[in-house]
Amino acid sequence: MKYRSQAVAYWYFAVAMGLFGLQIAFGLLAASKYLGPDPLINVVPFDIMKVVHTNLLIVWVLTGFMGGTYWIVPEESRTELYSVKLAYIQLGLWVVMGVTAIIGYFFRYTAGTKLLEQPLPHKIVIVVVMLMFLYNVAMTIRRSGRFTTTEGVLVGGLLLAALLYLPSIIPFDNYTLATFYRWWTIHLWVEGCWEMIQGSMLAYLLIRLTGADREVMEKWLYVIVGLVFISGVIGTAHHYYWLGVPHYWLPVGGFFSALEPAPLVAMAIYAYSAMRRSGLAHPNTLAIHWTVGSAVFTMFGAGLLGLAHTWPAVNKWTHGTLITPMHGHAAFFGAYAMIVLAMIAYSLPQFVSERSEPGRPSDYWAFWLQLAGMFGMTISFATAGIGQVYLERILGLGFLETQLKIQVHFLMLLGAGTIFATGVAIFIWNFFRHRPTFEMAAAVDEPGAPLRPVRTPA
Amino acid sequence: MTRQQARLFAIVSSTVVTIAFLAMTVDTHRQIPRLTNEDKLTPQVLAGKHVWHKFNCTNCHTLLGEGAYYAPDLTKIAIQRGPEYIRAFMHDPSRFYDEQKVRRVMPKQNISDQEITDLIAFLDWIGHIDTQNWPPRRILVSGAAIPGTDTGQAAAAPASNEPVALGQALFNATPPGCSACHSISPGVNLVGPTLANMGTRAAQAIKDPNYHGSAKDVEGYIRESIVNPNAYVVPGPTFSADGHSIMPGNFAKDLKPEQIDHLVAYLASLK
Repeated sequence: MKYRSQAVAYWYFAVAMGLFGLQIAFGLLAASKYLGPDPLINVVPFDIMKVVHTNLLIVWVLTGFMGGTYWIVPEESRTELYSVKLAYIQLGLWVVMGVTAIIGYFFRYTAGTKLLEQPLPHKIVIVVVMLMFLYNVAMTIRRSGRFTTTEGVLVGGLLLAALLYLPSIIPFDNYTLATFYRWWTIHLWVEGCWEMIQGSMLAYLLIRLTGADREVMEKWLYVIVGLVFISGVIGTAHHYYWLGVPHYWLPVGGFFSALEPAPLVAMAIYAYSAMRRSGLAHPNTLAIHWTVGSAVFTMFGAGLLGLAHTWPAVNKWTHGTLITPMHGHAAFFGAYAMIVLAMIAYSLPQFVSERSEPGRPSDYWAFWLQLAGMFGMTISFATAGIGQVYLERILGLGFLETQLKIQVHFLMLLGAGTIFATGVAIFIWNFFRHRPTFEMAAAVDEPGAPLRPVRTPA
Repeated sequence: MTRQQARLFAIVSSTVVTIAFLAMTVDTHRQIPRLTNEDKLTPQVLAGKHVWHKFNCTNCHTLLGEGAYYAPDLTKIAIQRGPEYIRAFMHDPSRFYDEQKVRRVMPKQNISDQEITDLIAFLDWIGHIDTQNWPPRRILVSGAAIPGTDTGQAAAAPASNEPVALGQALFNATPPGCSACHSISPGVNLVGPTLANMGTRAAQAIKDPNYHGSAKDVEGYIRESIVNPNAYVVPGPTFSADGHSIMPGNFAKDLKPEQIDHLVAYLASLK
């Protein structure tokens, strides 16, 4: 740690790890229900497992983003955080919101809108937490007067994310219109704001890990952000095709959605070329694994698998089938879970003195098991989905008969999910096995741009 | 390219696409009332939307293809099944599907009769939205439409003891082998005509001036078609020869009366 207040990030990451573990446990339970009959049908039916699984994902990834930001901003702005206390109050409020929302779901206390099931009081708390967070970050930057492109993109992404959450609070009578605006939050989050966040975290990590030239990295970061918005904003249309909107969304959405892999391919090339060209090798090879892994898996999961069913003529048949979770699982894991895990892998040796920079062999097991497990889950959903599209949508076989015929893929899903869960369990165990020491770094290691720990009086 | 140029690229391109997106959004607002029949968006439909959210339906089912993928899409369900079926189903889903056989069944909901009525109104409104012809082919909750795809045990065994379920199982069983010649997918004519929307089309057929049979209602027409295929011959290239239906005439003799009842109940339910 270069700045004492960066310790805040550890507790955000710790919360994120706990919620990540829960998310996977409920995910496995949800997957097992695909095999049926379900002995828990009257206790925790599938719908509750699913809403808990997806909401935990959103909450832990956002917790990770906030933790990552509290780690990056002091370093980029070369100052302590504006208010450590505010950061902890924010975390407390956030955890209370998250935990009560999850408990509420078990009693069907839900807004019932996909991915935005948080009831209104919880939505308001989310907005309050976001405001506290942005205020703290903005004041930190303002006080230091140093504002880098990397953190600019990061804060820009967070600011937009908070802003785009607001449409989800507005009630719409027309279901089509409500769904139209729901995608402003969900799609523009993942395909706009979160990609900005991922891009900036990637830039931060690549600069630290490879010693790549900041000027060059930040220039390409701008290009990536440009590509994200060119394709992503109008790309929202691929969620609109069949909702009851005007026809022009189909060709327009098809065209711009087809461009959506561009920024993701660019990000992968960005990471790869930074690795190739750098003369320096950072000792934290584990963080390098997660960083480059995130860029590559995003290209596969979000880019390639998204493209696989985004064209209207294809989506007409695949819409609403298991093809969607195929893409969803790989995309969320590669783009957002992995970048948070990369931030954790990078910063953890600086929180915990007993943890070596390159990590233990079990840390690499955690990486490869998660990757293999998620790849297997993706393939399971893909094969199940292709079977479903052919039998149910093209041949016209009933939904229930179709689901019986693709049972073997659900077995695969459960097997691959277990491999994935093992990797997650190892990662979480390694995170918590040693007490954090929060030792301050004596020397500064940013290559090319020596930093001095600057203490600005509060 | 310098960093300033890259920044300019990011800002200008983002601005341009955002303006285009907002312009289309404004136009969409203009068109949505017509595309979604907003004039039929009654307080009851709104109450039904609330029921949809309250019971977390979207985390198992899809609506307009959106939601979870654990249970069937319900976009057209109100039109396909009709209110009476949905009401009976909502009261006790296990009457219609046996979890031991189909491995998945909807848990019984603690839902009032009024809520069911509202929900049906909502689903009916959803079913009439102009979805750009999605789904391209009807999505069935249950039932095999194509011969050869019904070899599984589930299709052969009835999902419950309801006449419709028994009729469906019989339809897919051999003998009598109905599904070898008839599909229940719209537009898919095998040797015999498709039986998709049979409940609706039977009602039209008895009003046809060329119809000379003795049936007075939908059930009667379907029963007559089974026991006496020549009473009315549906026009089509492979359906008849020399004015006679090519459908076997042995069903009146070989099927038990209650089996015919079940088949009639099943086919009449296809709307």
